[in-house]
Amino acid sequence: MQMTMDELTVGQKGAVKAVRAPKQLKRRLMDMGFTKGVPIEVIKLAPMGDPIEVSIRGYHLCLRKAEARKIELI
Amino acid sequence: MQTIALIGNPNSGKTTLFNTLTGTSSYVGNWPGVTVEKKEGLVNGHTILDLPGIYSLSPYSPEEKLSRRYILDKHPDLIIDVIDATNLERSLYLTTQLAELGRPLLLVLNMEDLLEREGIKIDVHRLSQMTGAPVVTISASKGTGIVELKETIETCLHEKKSALCPLFSNFVERYINHLIADDYMHAIPEGRPVRWAAIKLIEEDELFLSSMPAIPEELDGYLKNAREELIAHYDDDPEAIIIDQRYKVAEAISKDCQRKIVEKKSFNFDSIATNRVTAIPLFILIMGAVFYLSIGLVGGYTTPILENAFAFVGEKIYQVAEIYGVFPLLSGILVDGIIAGVGAVLTFVPQLFVLFLLLSILEDCGYMARIAFIMDRMMRSLGLSGKSIIPLVIGTGCSVPAIMSSRTIEHQKQRELTVIVTPFIPCGAKMPVFALMMTYFFPGQWYIAPMIYLVGVLAVVITGLLARALDKHKETNAFILELPRYQIPTVRNVWLQTKERTVGFIQKAGTIILISSVIIYLLSSFSFTFKAVDADASMLAMLGRLIAPLFAPLGFGFWQASVALLTGIAAKESIVSTLSVTVGTSHLGAFFNPASALSYMTFILLSSPCIAAISAMAKELGSRRKLLFALLWQTGFAYFSALLVRYLVLLFQ
Repeated sequence: MQMTMDELTVGQKGAVKAVRAPKQLKRRLMDMGFTKGVPIEVIKLAPMGDPIEVSIRGYHLCLRKAEARKIELI
Repeated sequence: MQTIALIGNPNSGKTTLFNTLTGTSSYVGNWPGVTVEKKEGLVNGHTILDLPGIYSLSPYSPEEKLSRRYILDKHPDLIIDVIDATNLERSLYLTTQLAELGRPLLLVLNMEDLLEREGIKIDVHRLSQMTGAPVVTISASKGTGIVELKETIETCLHEKKSALCPLFSNFVERYINHLIADDYMHAIPEGRPVRWAAIKLIEEDELFLSSMPAIPEELDGYLKNAREELIAHYDDDPEAIIIDQRYKVAEAISKDCQRKIVEKKSFNFDSIATNRVTAIPLFILIMGAVFYLSIGLVGGYTTPILENAFAFVGEKIYQVAEIYGVFPLLSGILVDGIIAGVGAVLTFVPQLFVLFLLLSILEDCGYMARIAFIMDRMMRSLGLSGKSIIPLVIGTGCSVPAIMSSRTIEHQKQRELTVIVTPFIPCGAKMPVFALMMTYFFPGQWYIAPMIYLVGVLAVVITGLLARALDKHKETNAFILELPRYQIPTVRNVWLQTKERTVGFIQKAGTIILISSVIIYLLSSFSFTFKAVDADASMLAMLGRLIAPLFAPLGFGFWQASVALLTGIAAKESIVSTLSVTVGTSHLGAFFNPASALSYMTFILLSSPCIAAISAMAKELGSRRKLLFALLWQTGFAYFSALLVRYLVLLFQ
């Protein structure tokens, strides 16, 4: 089973394998730094469990679980 | 005269730098996407442009498209790439794209004052060697490094040296080299570098391809083959491969030039600001404190003082006028027109000053992006985005910047819906109207003020739910937002913003309100045959009576209320000045009762905003049909809500 970023719990780390999303969204996520091999860590969930806050390339980004599901991990 | 473009990631401090360089006071905040329009200024006699922040030259939202179009089509003589020094790697990703444009490039490492706090050291000399561009470190907010920056700008403009293009892996480079040598490249528009174009061909960038003539068969075959080989080699599409290659370059440069000395752990405000339990109560508490401090505490103290002061001045003028036998019309214009009208509005300056001050602190410290984060889930169920909360909060000050700030919402439908609901949030200019009614009809009933905000929020919720129910596609879109570092708001930024907004309010009082007060006074003193008459027989009364019947069901079908609403289109504060001129603030009880006062307040709260906000809406919605729909919805919604409020009050009285 392919693991995706939304499955990580708070404090868990991972590394990006690939972004599987429609062209526009994929481009956007990759522009923000989600490229192959980059380490990420889930920092926090929002009060209602969604969106999530992740640490990537030294900064913090929030995105929804729906987007996190498009990011496959190694 | 040469042109310089400021470009960089959102929230990297371009506008602060722009303000420092040009000595102006453009709107600054600490969330990604404060600048949504390009702004022009002068530095050393050159034109300098502040562009909306972008992460990449392949943009998503309208304001990002503006930046790309400008950089590609207008060929600035110098591109200043503003880099958040604490976020070097991701900033360099954009640099790899800017370097390819063949324009002189200057890297500005901003926020160097924060490096020490973050425990980072950057080798500036090496960064310059590796990018082939001059590098200057500054702190835009503290104003350090600016002299050196200005000198370097001159050198760059003089030397016209372009930066080094980032080199990709050999596997990619061989296709680029082949394409650069192809005859087709002669078709590239003037000023676009060949290497850049070759990469765009590999990526199949639609915007670029649409600007080029059809690709010859042979080249097309080559490109198809190249893309297939790339996909096979990297197991990804060409666009993704190029992004990956760029980030590899950015990583390499960043690794080589940057050292993390210590991993500093400090208290993080986010441990309560975005904590699952405390986040939402804290948000409510902060907003409550903002309103309590400005409207409750400061307003409660200063409003009566100023009211008495204006009344005193008015009385004195009347006395003096009588002694010297001044023409009564003149003293009437002065006292019952200008002092009553303008004074009623100026009374609110102290509390609005505090409101603007607190809002700009909120905007500057980095909390706004957190609100978007914690509220996204809730906003989504209303067909909005977490980012919609930013316009709603700013809207408590003024709807105009609020409506403009909706531009960072990528999804068109959510953006338009945000634009339509933002004016439901009572702005500072509506405050005087509510205060006037509340002090007269509901003295000491503190719960009315929060209720007004609640009704505004309810209007947002109902509109959102309806829009979502009617939306057949139920499409959701991405929500991707950087959470900026918290910072202590700079006195300069906070002061500039607060001053600008407060001065704007006072200026309105001195212009629009002043003129409309005089006109209203004259129109209410004369008949159509220019005879001095009682207000009831005046021109204004005649005009007001044309539309007054429309409002009879709401309980305020008299001409004064209608005229006030009309003048409210120019500026909402005008409602107060018009009422004080035509009715007199102490005679409100002769016209309104508690039920109709509440319905009047509700109508003002929810109906179409002032002309400035309407034109902001027009701009963001971009179509007359949508604007008309928005205005009809707001006014219709206001009408029925006011009706409902009136009958509810009558029912329970």
